[in-house]
Amino acid sequence: MTVLEIEHVAIGYSSTLIVDDLSVAIPKGQISTIIGPNGCGKSTLLKAVARVLRTQDGAVYLDGKAIHQLKTKEVAKRMAILPQTATAPGGLTVFELVSYGRFPHQTGFGTLRKEDYEYIHWAIDVTGLREFSDRPIEALSGGQRQRVWIAMALAQGTDILILDEPTTYLDLAHQLDILLLLQKLNKEEGRTIVMVLHDLNHASRFSQFMIAMRDGQLVVNGNPDEVMTKENLQKVFNIDATMALCPYSNNPICLSYQLYENAE
Amino acid sequence: MTTSAEAVEGLGKLEELQRRSHPVRAVVALIVGLITLIFAIGLSISFGAADISLGTVWTAVFHFSPDLTAHQIIRDIRLPRVLGAALVGGCFAVAGAIMQGMTRNPLADSGLLGLNSGAAFMLAVCFAFFPGLPYMFLILWSFVGAGLGVVIVYGIGSIAKGGLTPMRLVLAGAAVSALLGALGEGIALYYRIGQDLAFWYAGGVSGTKWYHLQILSPWILVAMIGALILSRSITLLSLGEEIAIGLGQRTGVIKVWGMIVVLILAGAAVSVVGAVGFVGLIIPHITRYIVGHDYRWIISCSLVYGALLVVLADLFARTINPPYEVPIGAIIAFIGVPFFLYLARKGGKEL
Amino acid sequence: MNNNSFLTASQQKARKKNFFILSILVVFIVITFVISMNTGVIKLTPMEVIRTLFGFGDAQQQLILYEFRLPRIIIAVLVGMGLATSGAILQGISKNALADPGILGINAGAGLAVMLFISFFPATTAAPVYLLPVLAFVGAGLTAIVIYTLSYKRHEGITPMRLLLTGIAVAAGISSAMIVLTLRLSPENYQFVATWLAGSIWGSNWKFVLSLLPWLLILFPFVYAKSRVLNILNLGDLTAVGLGASIEKERRWLLAASVGLAGASVSVSGGIGFVGLIAPHLARQLVGAKHQFLLPASALVGGLLVLLADTIGRSILEPSEIPAGIVVAVLGAPYFLYLLARVKE
Repeated sequence: MTVLEIEHVAIGYSSTLIVDDLSVAIPKGQISTIIGPNGCGKSTLLKAVARVLRTQDGAVYLDGKAIHQLKTKEVAKRMAILPQTATAPGGLTVFELVSYGRFPHQTGFGTLRKEDYEYIHWAIDVTGLREFSDRPIEALSGGQRQRVWIAMALAQGTDILILDEPTTYLDLAHQLDILLLLQKLNKEEGRTIVMVLHDLNHASRFSQFMIAMRDGQLVVNGNPDEVMTKENLQKVFNIDATMALCPYSNNPICLSYQLYENAE
Repeated sequence: MTTSAEAVEGLGKLEELQRRSHPVRAVVALIVGLITLIFAIGLSISFGAADISLGTVWTAVFHFSPDLTAHQIIRDIRLPRVLGAALVGGCFAVAGAIMQGMTRNPLADSGLLGLNSGAAFMLAVCFAFFPGLPYMFLILWSFVGAGLGVVIVYGIGSIAKGGLTPMRLVLAGAAVSALLGALGEGIALYYRIGQDLAFWYAGGVSGTKWYHLQILSPWILVAMIGALILSRSITLLSLGEEIAIGLGQRTGVIKVWGMIVVLILAGAAVSVVGAVGFVGLIIPHITRYIVGHDYRWIISCSLVYGALLVVLADLFARTINPPYEVPIGAIIAFIGVPFFLYLARKGGKEL
Repeated sequence: MNNNSFLTASQQKARKKNFFILSILVVFIVITFVISMNTGVIKLTPMEVIRTLFGFGDAQQQLILYEFRLPRIIIAVLVGMGLATSGAILQGISKNALADPGILGINAGAGLAVMLFISFFPATTAAPVYLLPVLAFVGAGLTAIVIYTLSYKRHEGITPMRLLLTGIAVAAGISSAMIVLTLRLSPENYQFVATWLAGSIWGSNWKFVLSLLPWLLILFPFVYAKSRVLNILNLGDLTAVGLGASIEKERRWLLAASVGLAGASVSVSGGIGFVGLIAPHLARQLVGAKHQFLLPASALVGGLLVLLADTIGRSILEPSEIPAGIVVAVLGAPYFLYLLARVKE
């Protein structure tokens, strides 16, 4: 079943198109990952899905309705977004920032209701931030800060989560930490997760659906077995990959790789 | 471990930056700017109450004969004035470029260091308590005032916990400017000298004499050389403090030297013509737009185009409504505002 | 208030602390109010002031308090609140700590209007003096519209950075026009305009209170209702959109409110621009970054600051007055610098 339908979208800044005529369907209740080389338009596509960028052509459909025609607040109740670089204003505590995730559900002056508190506390607990909840965000480490932003997106209480490189700047253990958390949310609560990842093996291990892009165009999409092949990696990244199987997920991973002689 | 990783990241950014800077365009811009500047200086000398041909300008400069009135006008009145304008423009523009690079704030100019308000405050004090002070002393005291402003801003920024961050510098500058500005304004209101001050500022570079240039130019020359020496480090600082440190820059030292250079350049300019802050704000933006993000080029081009802007502004100021002169600051704003607006619209990201 | 049971002890403490700070600010305003009532050429004791306020004063005391001092004090507080709130909004939506109503050219626009007016109708012909605030407001509003239009781009709308840059450019243009006008003014007119520009509560009259009050009464609730939106806008455009804020629309409304507040304030007070810059900063130190507390705290700090400045300005060099704008800067800047030196980023 499809939850997000991207149809013939063209996205760009004024004259240059970054994504050109791309169509892909995001399956419901699965983890989908977009991979591709730097500057291929991954983040741009994600921003268009998140309706931050307007499409020049084509449209993104959420449950069959064009996303830019829906009320932005209604979309925010369905879909949470974690941007790549998020900065919090100084002096804000973890609890306060996470509580901002309830924004789309509030009206008027927006005092937090019981339900709001439940979501906030759940988000803080599930991201393991309980002991930090009254600390100012600037006093946290990089990994903790990233979890605060994820907690905020979780507190939004949406069934779709969109994350732009959620593991950047994190060490190996913290990367896995975040991904296992997302996997848990997907498995236990059936949330749809769409993200951009740089680490191919993580992408393959954790997602059921992969989208490979190059030069603003879709190269291939499908399950990890279909996408993570030697041929596709050559097409997308221009690398000569030695493939293996992940002992945890049984999905193909890239053991090591070499640049082709004719690489740019 | 981390430092080398940061250094690698820094180098990556540096490479990206070099891709975004355009040396060829910069050289062309520099040459075109210089030629235009020389032509503008010649033009400016030839225009005035007594019309003098460009040929006469040429002979007056290179084959001076004291018997000719035209030659005397050029040598005694027009030449120092035009050179003063060029000097002032170059100073403001380079000081602004350094400020923007060091603070990473596109809204920064030398006025933010408390320079303009310090000079204005001291000038108000001089007008109120020591009326009739000779021109030379007024300039000297303005410079002292500019220095005072910088010392307060820099001092407060530095004693703070966590050191002198760009944001703190900018905020301290805004507060000190407001404080000194208010004190100056208060004195001006109480002693009713506001309009006299306005006339002083409106005078612009008209009163520039050879001996002013003699006194100012060695300082300015040294500061300009300092600016060019610092320019590479400022490029790194403009990428961010951590990256600059990662690449082995001693950022504290560079900032102190940068401030001193800004103080000399902008202080000299402010004390001669008053706060024509817009030059320092727009010229670096314009040059950055042309030459990219390498401060070696930004600073050298700012020098040329800043000089050009003020020379032209002075020319217009004299010729629009002769024999009266329009305040030079108004002319600069008149030229600068539309251009700045255009840039703000077109290259929102570049700024 | 049963919701509080969801908050941890330290969160409840933080909340209480913020409410406490707000009430302390109110107390300070009340104290300054009483002191200010006593300040002036004719001395009244605090007892006399309180008696008169409750309607037991003699005719002269009534006249002084009700017709001269009270309106002036109220205007000072309102102006401070308006400018500070305007600054807090601008800093919130632009994420730039240097944003204040002055940077949007509002002071300059109002100043130019006043200056034009004075060059055509010298201050000595006292007749149309009531037109001044109207003109100042129109000047401020027109400037804001010009800046908004110039920084608007189709498809992209308004970005805060472009708005600030445009504001600076337009303000610079207006200032230079004012330099040219300055030179044409007679010394008396110049003095009037300069005093006006320096920011003085010169319109000490109930009519000015009435011209200012409606703006604040309408705009304050509107802005407070938007505190959540301001919180979200503070996180950056991407996050704000993700959370379902229509950033373009919200920004436009908040901007309009900010212009309205600043324009109405500047029209009766002249250029007390510095309040709009520092009051939000001081408030942030006191109550943190959440706009639910930041906005009222900014307003109270601003009101207190201008009232204090006006009181000092009236009393220190009696019988001549120092414009409140100057006193605000002289009082506020050192404290601001002290904060800057003491507090970590």
